[in-house]
Amino acid sequence: MLAFALRRAIWAIPTLFGVSLVVFLLTTLLPDPEAEANAPSGDVAARVRLDELRRARFLDLPRLVNLSPRDVRTTVDECVAHIVANDADASFCETRIARIGGAALPHLLPRLDDVPPATRGRIALALAPVARRMGIGDADDLSHPDRAALFWTRFWEDRSVDFTEPAIRRSVKRITARDSDLLEQEIRLVDTFALREVMTAMKTAQDPAVLARLTRLAARVTGRDAPVRTADTDKTPDDSTRPLASSRILEPTADHAQVRAVVSEWLSWWYVHETDYVVLQGGEKVTASVAQTRYAKWVLGAVTGQLGLSTRDSLPIFDKLVARAPVTLGMAMLAFLLSALVGVPIGVVAAWRRGHAIDHGTAWAILLVYCVPTFLVAELLALFGHASGVGFALPVLALSTVSLSVVTQQQRASMIEALEQDYVRSARAKGARTLRVAVVHALRNALVPTVTIAGVQFPALVGGAFVVEEVFEIRGIGWETLRAIESHDAAWIVAVTLLCAIVTTACLVASDIAYGLLDPRVRETQARRHVS
Amino acid sequence: MNDRQPPGDDDRESVPLLLSRPSHPLPLEPKRAARPAGAPKDVAPALSGVDWANPGAITLRLGKAGLLLAALLVLLAIFADIVASDLPVACKIHGTVFVLPNVTRPATLDAMDRRELAAQADWTIRPMVAHGPRLGPGEERRALLPPGALPGHPLGTDREGRDVFARAVHGTRSYLVFALGAVLASLALGAFFGSIAGLFGGAADAVVSRIVESVSAFPPLVLVLGIQAAVPRATLLTLFLAIALTRWPEVARLVRGQVILATTREYVLAARALGASPLRVLRRHIMPNVRAPLVVTAAAGVSAVVLTEASLDFLRVGTPAGAASWGETMSEFRDAPSAWWLLAFPGILLVLTIVAYNLMGEAIRSVLDPRSR
Repeated sequence: MLAFALRRAIWAIPTLFGVSLVVFLLTTLLPDPEAEANAPSGDVAARVRLDELRRARFLDLPRLVNLSPRDVRTTVDECVAHIVANDADASFCETRIARIGGAALPHLLPRLDDVPPATRGRIALALAPVARRMGIGDADDLSHPDRAALFWTRFWEDRSVDFTEPAIRRSVKRITARDSDLLEQEIRLVDTFALREVMTAMKTAQDPAVLARLTRLAARVTGRDAPVRTADTDKTPDDSTRPLASSRILEPTADHAQVRAVVSEWLSWWYVHETDYVVLQGGEKVTASVAQTRYAKWVLGAVTGQLGLSTRDSLPIFDKLVARAPVTLGMAMLAFLLSALVGVPIGVVAAWRRGHAIDHGTAWAILLVYCVPTFLVAELLALFGHASGVGFALPVLALSTVSLSVVTQQQRASMIEALEQDYVRSARAKGARTLRVAVVHALRNALVPTVTIAGVQFPALVGGAFVVEEVFEIRGIGWETLRAIESHDAAWIVAVTLLCAIVTTACLVASDIAYGLLDPRVRETQARRHVS
Repeated sequence: MNDRQPPGDDDRESVPLLLSRPSHPLPLEPKRAARPAGAPKDVAPALSGVDWANPGAITLRLGKAGLLLAALLVLLAIFADIVASDLPVACKIHGTVFVLPNVTRPATLDAMDRRELAAQADWTIRPMVAHGPRLGPGEERRALLPPGALPGHPLGTDREGRDVFARAVHGTRSYLVFALGAVLASLALGAFFGSIAGLFGGAADAVVSRIVESVSAFPPLVLVLGIQAAVPRATLLTLFLAIALTRWPEVARLVRGQVILATTREYVLAARALGASPLRVLRRHIMPNVRAPLVVTAAAGVSAVVLTEASLDFLRVGTPAGAASWGETMSEFRDAPSAWWLLAFPGILLVLTIVAYNLMGEAIRSVLDPRSR
């Protein structure tokens, strides 16, 4: 039995893969920000913002296979080449190097002697913000090309020992154990080179005080400690709708929700930007050719709950889903229970009294109920009161009508078939009571097909819940989705579509397994089919 | 070859599953009694399994009623311009006779103030209701008139002063055209991929089956919503494509199953043995089997598409604003809860459409599948 269930569950994997591909195709339909923005190429700030927008959706990565995955080394090489050539991208590359900061230094500073003096000065000047972040050097040194180049050469002579992984790991470990300005200063001196360790620590840390230190460090070295003014917040006119995540630095006294919001914001940022700061070594390079693609990034993100941030209110999509989905799924579940509890008895009675007035009566009623759209029923029921007044009763009732008629119809048909079977006749011939024949002999078998219908009906109910939520103003995923469509919140729409598909697939698997549980013949046929 | 006696229904036991879902999800059908001896021998293979002795008289009669209703709705859609239009059916103005200007929409009349037109015309033949689905030039904007308040507006007006009757009638046209188009598109897609999967089997079958499973894993309404939200500009065309996309897997599943079922029949084997090309086998020997179940799916599909489109319009994410649509009129009821006529009349037409196509589908199904009676 367990083997059967497992096998059925494993069959769902290709389906889920297909589902992910479909949703991925959906994301490729979304407009590319580059196509929309037509800022002049000289505007470096606009270019950086656009770059960030595209990267948040992994548009900088190839779709399915990445033959030359980037890491900090290749990025630095590319940037230096641009600056040496002094082409149109040169000034953009300067800001880019400055943004990468400490992680770029081990690949940049040793090469400073090899590049022409003019370029050397230019790179050294570009690195000035890094020195400011580290809190070293004086302004005079850093603003003069030759002196800045000398400064950075000296810096590397003195400090290159600090730029090693084990050293950083030790420092980060120590700073998670206790607060110390000295240690913090030490880590700040290697700038973004420490990011990988800081992020690893952030994933495991629980204590808000430790997380406060880590987020402060991370924000400091990445230059993300300024008040949030990115492109996506410019779009939302009223800042009052963004209660959380407006700060990327945790207070040591933050509550659980704040901690989650800030940490997940950091992790999704790291998920996007990791390759800017780390060097891919050996095997990592091979896996990166698959992992550093738009599809893989997106799927892995979805699996680990990194669905990004809602552009509507800057909350993590995952948290919003967790908050909203139970409302919708619960409503669908209640409606399903209602239609099963009411539909099965009605179907049984109609089958038992086949051809009588009660059968015809239910047939007409079911036809009528089936043909009235959910939103019309909901709108009519809403005349009697809104969700605030009557709780879930009316919405659930409105939602259940269609599935109620489907269940009743199915139950009637399968019950009629069961009643014609020989074992029912022999049970009656042996003198079993009517009720016993109906329930024990016929209904047990007649319930089986209804269970399968159930697996198909639940997803339909989830779809219907979207409409019902809108009518009754229930804050479930449907209501949220319609608001998201109004405000073009792509991330949310993609996440909801994915969630619905996963729920549907799970329902199908569950109903197939239930079918097998109830009927051994199914198990045999399925096993046979699988072998052949 | 078609008059060969097809093999008994026992064959169905050996049919592979129609993927893992729907109407007959697993080959659990009990062995049916053999066809009665009196059954005609020369029926087409598609209908050979039918027990004509007891055709489910009520269902059939209801099916005929559904057909009649559907035909009436189609007539209403075709003659929408005669029934309700802001331009007359025919008129003579300034010595020129215009015939059916409400259909041809000549520029001179279209730009004219409607009241002036009525005053200047020598004679006019007016449509049943002298309002179109949109306000014509010079028409008075009287919002939310209840039915009967003004003789010109038999079913009242909506929030923008447009005639509810005219919008409902013209909505019939846009909905039916849309639904028939989407159903035809999904039939074409589904039949193509389904027959490829059924005929060639192997890798082609596996790929098509996985695609079908993946697409049908989405609740249709949610997928259509997602697509409409994701495309840069949502238009009627994207809606059409999205709905066709959600509907074709069902057709493909059905066609695949029927094709596989048909290929196990002896007359197909015989045709192959005689050297018929795969295309000829498909066209002459397999497709006739598939046609009848396809009709059922198509009928159910029309009501499903109409329902989906109305739901989307009701949620205000469907057709672009302004087009005549039942769902849009009904969605205005949410902002004006006392204007019951906004909900009632398009709602009645919507329910009638769904009823008509469901009854038809049910009747055909009951002819094809004696069990469901």
